[in-house]
Amino acid sequence: MLRAAPLLRIQLLMLASEAQDAALTLARFGVFNPAPCRVDALAESPAAAYREAWLEAEARLAKLLETCGDTGPVDLPTAAEAPSLADLDELNQWLKDVWTACLACHEDEARIAEVRSRLGALEDTLAKLEGLNVDLAHLLRPDSLLAVNIGSLPAVELRRVAEALAMTGYLVSRFDQAGEQVFAVIAGPRARHDEVRGLLAQAGWRELPVPDELRTHPQAARAWLEAERVRLDGQFGAARQVRDGLRDRLGPRLHEARLRLALARPLAEAAESGVRGKGGLAVLAGWVPKRQLGALRDTLDARFHGRYWLDLREPSPREIAEVPSLMRYPGWLAPFVPLVKSYGVPRYGEFDPALPFAFTYLLLFGAMFGDVGHGAAILVLAAAFARRLGRLAWVGVAAGAVSMLFGLLYGSFFGFEDLIDPLWLSPLHDPIRALTIAVAFGIGFIVFTLLANAYNKGVAGRAGEALFDSAGLAGLAFYLGAVGVLASWAGVLDLARPAAMLAGPGLVVVAAYKWHEARAGLGERILVTLIETLETVINLFSNTLSFMRVAAFSLNHVALALAVFTLAHGLDAAGHGIALVLGNIVIIGLEGGIVAIQALRLMYYEGFSRFFSGDGREFVPLRIGKA
Amino acid sequence: MSAYLDTRVTLFSGRLWTDDALEALIEMPDGAVAERLTGRGLPQLATGYDRTGGTPYPRSLEQRIIGQILDETRVLIRPLTGDARAFLDFWTARFEMSNVKTLLRGKMTDERPAAILARLIPMGSFGRLDNQDLAHAEDAGELLRRLEAGPYAGIVRRARRAFEQSHDPFSLDAALDRGYYEGLVQRAQPLEDTLGAPFRGLMANLVDRINLVWLLRYRFNYGLPPAQVYYLLVASRYSLSGTRLRELAALDSLEAVLAALPAAWRTQLPGAADIPAVFARMEHAATGQALRVLRSRVPEIARAFAYLILRERDLRAVRAVLRGRHLGLPDDDIRLALRRAAAGLS
Repeated sequence: MLRAAPLLRIQLLMLASEAQDAALTLARFGVFNPAPCRVDALAESPAAAYREAWLEAEARLAKLLETCGDTGPVDLPTAAEAPSLADLDELNQWLKDVWTACLACHEDEARIAEVRSRLGALEDTLAKLEGLNVDLAHLLRPDSLLAVNIGSLPAVELRRVAEALAMTGYLVSRFDQAGEQVFAVIAGPRARHDEVRGLLAQAGWRELPVPDELRTHPQAARAWLEAERVRLDGQFGAARQVRDGLRDRLGPRLHEARLRLALARPLAEAAESGVRGKGGLAVLAGWVPKRQLGALRDTLDARFHGRYWLDLREPSPREIAEVPSLMRYPGWLAPFVPLVKSYGVPRYGEFDPALPFAFTYLLLFGAMFGDVGHGAAILVLAAAFARRLGRLAWVGVAAGAVSMLFGLLYGSFFGFEDLIDPLWLSPLHDPIRALTIAVAFGIGFIVFTLLANAYNKGVAGRAGEALFDSAGLAGLAFYLGAVGVLASWAGVLDLARPAAMLAGPGLVVVAAYKWHEARAGLGERILVTLIETLETVINLFSNTLSFMRVAAFSLNHVALALAVFTLAHGLDAAGHGIALVLGNIVIIGLEGGIVAIQALRLMYYEGFSRFFSGDGREFVPLRIGKA
Repeated sequence: MSAYLDTRVTLFSGRLWTDDALEALIEMPDGAVAERLTGRGLPQLATGYDRTGGTPYPRSLEQRIIGQILDETRVLIRPLTGDARAFLDFWTARFEMSNVKTLLRGKMTDERPAAILARLIPMGSFGRLDNQDLAHAEDAGELLRRLEAGPYAGIVRRARRAFEQSHDPFSLDAALDRGYYEGLVQRAQPLEDTLGAPFRGLMANLVDRINLVWLLRYRFNYGLPPAQVYYLLVASRYSLSGTRLRELAALDSLEAVLAALPAAWRTQLPGAADIPAVFARMEHAATGQALRVLRSRVPEIARAFAYLILRERDLRAVRAVLRGRHLGLPDDDIRLALRRAAAGLS
């Protein structure tokens, strides 16, 4: 729980034809994190085609499911095998055919909708032309010297098209608009019609079909348009029927496709990291927990009966940064983990701060927001919204409980400081003591972070930093010594001389280390050493004083409650009650939120930034379902 | 914002390549090239160059060059908000437009999604398209419809309508290019109003140059009729206005077009007898103008834009040298390629 589980690097060599089953077996095993295979002799990527086919099939399946609807939950039989590349290609081809058919239906529906809208426009056009008493038959004569076209184009193109057409002696007359489309008549010399053809195509011009009967008998037009509309409705219905038929007919096969693609997912996902091979062999590389090696061998033996070769080794120091961190947490600690991960993932071998984080965070929250009543309200609210908040509700419940505990220690109940006797101290009545305790806590916290940093640097093989740097043991010696000197000056301790003997050499070692590490000319090196050593001193003490906010917020809590009471006392009975209720809601919502953020801030900036690199990689096991 | 951007542009401008630096790069021993590239602020190119003998670098030279430009734009854009940010943001969108063309061509030739995806330019935080999703479209029609639901809907809708009529890839490319540059002109307008002549000058040079070269290509290489040529050009308010472009498009020869250009333009094009020569001279003039803007005390956004124009020209030249070296060409051939690289359209 305090550090990642020890891992082994494995390379599983097997027949390339069984790679998909090997990946599926590892996915079922549940704790195999794939990693790139770096064996130069294995130059081929035997799973690349598999991944490509899987990605294509997945994309097509997703589009089909979007069209046809979900087919229900996928229940994978335990004995089911992953499809081979040939099976996957076949499935992919089938999905392609089905989607192409579906797409054709979509295209048909879109085309019919477009034609319908154009017919509507044509009807309007005819109504307008009737009013103008224009002889369409004469106007649209194919043997006339004047070429006339009726159609539509995007409104934004009209001006540009008109300017361009004017260059060939053509005129454009706009007579209607529907949405972004304008309807227009284009007329010009027929001899130059070829010159405008390309331009009109480029401009997205859509010709409105004007059948012969429409040109001569306006009354016949209505009947023709109606017949066309009925015909289009029929076509539309038929297209819809084909699509619905596809849905009914395809449902079971689509479900089957989902199942097979789920079984194919492990190899396709592993191929992203790089499955290598040569000839008929393939290698899957990755990380597994050392403790589960026996179980892994049993699983592979049961599935492959010895038709594999497992190569294992410990992670080398050079690849530590690439090793994923597999952390296991008890259920009660798991809700706090996202708060740690929002800062970063522990590097492999690094101290995992989740456990001390949970305790310290709750402690800081309780100390800054100690109130039996407000704590109980937070606890009840978190429990009431547990379903909506998920695992985070547990953080709320725990924070509320700790707040109640500190409320008892402070003797505070909904801001009333005199209803219950404090079991420990009342920040309002003894603020100096509260501030002193907060600083003392800060000292303990910083000592802990320095020790944790020295440990982390040590396990990362950076002994110099662990021993001599400002956040290492030399920095710790200086800090403890300096705290001892200050405490002696303040009369709390009587250790000035030995403390100074600890602080002085500690600081000298830190400065010497800074000097050694600085890569610069003499002047710059002196400057860097001086500034960085001074920065060490300032940082350590400013960070310590930063913990005074813990006491300050506990005082702030009382002050806010007093403000609410003062406001309430100035109002009548009803107003008094409303002010008290609203005031307490504000205290819980606003101050509670601020304190939650401040506690997090103290953990991140005064704690994590000192020892936690947070640049590790999360252990992401190969799985059958979507991550 | 002003001080940050000004300082950044000044620092970046120290990385621009002079002719002498390019000449030195041609003659440099292999071992020193990566170091020189890093020294000139081209770490992505240096990394790729270093690995030529080992595992192939996953990105092509073009992808790394554009990656470098995007990295620098990201730094320059950081303090900007409003119109200035929108403009520089859209300036990078032409790389995404090139991705759209790659996707469309891939779909037209029925390429597999993985092959298409490998050729796309990684846009990083400037990317607005879901390339994975688009690459898995079944055909060009589905791809266009998906694109129409995205951030370039306006540009793509126009291209789709043109493509549906003609099924000609040229229609698609021309519509996408025109749509992009009209979008750029539209985003430049508010900046031209506030930043004045230096910025407007850069935009005018860019758009007029593009219009003239497109006009010459469409008219005399592709033989398109004048009306269609005019329609395919970028609607512009600069020196080559709509009226002037119509007059030029109606002319019958390259010489006649060059003779009909404004007097100031003719002085920039002495002896230009073909389209590459016209472009090379105009590019040269544009470089001079961008350098003047970069070195003057004008609004910092104009300087940043001038820097980006110059940097792109620079990187085209560096690409020509690196490619020449990679192919083992003689130094003189690389110098010739360098002169031609300067004539490549951005």
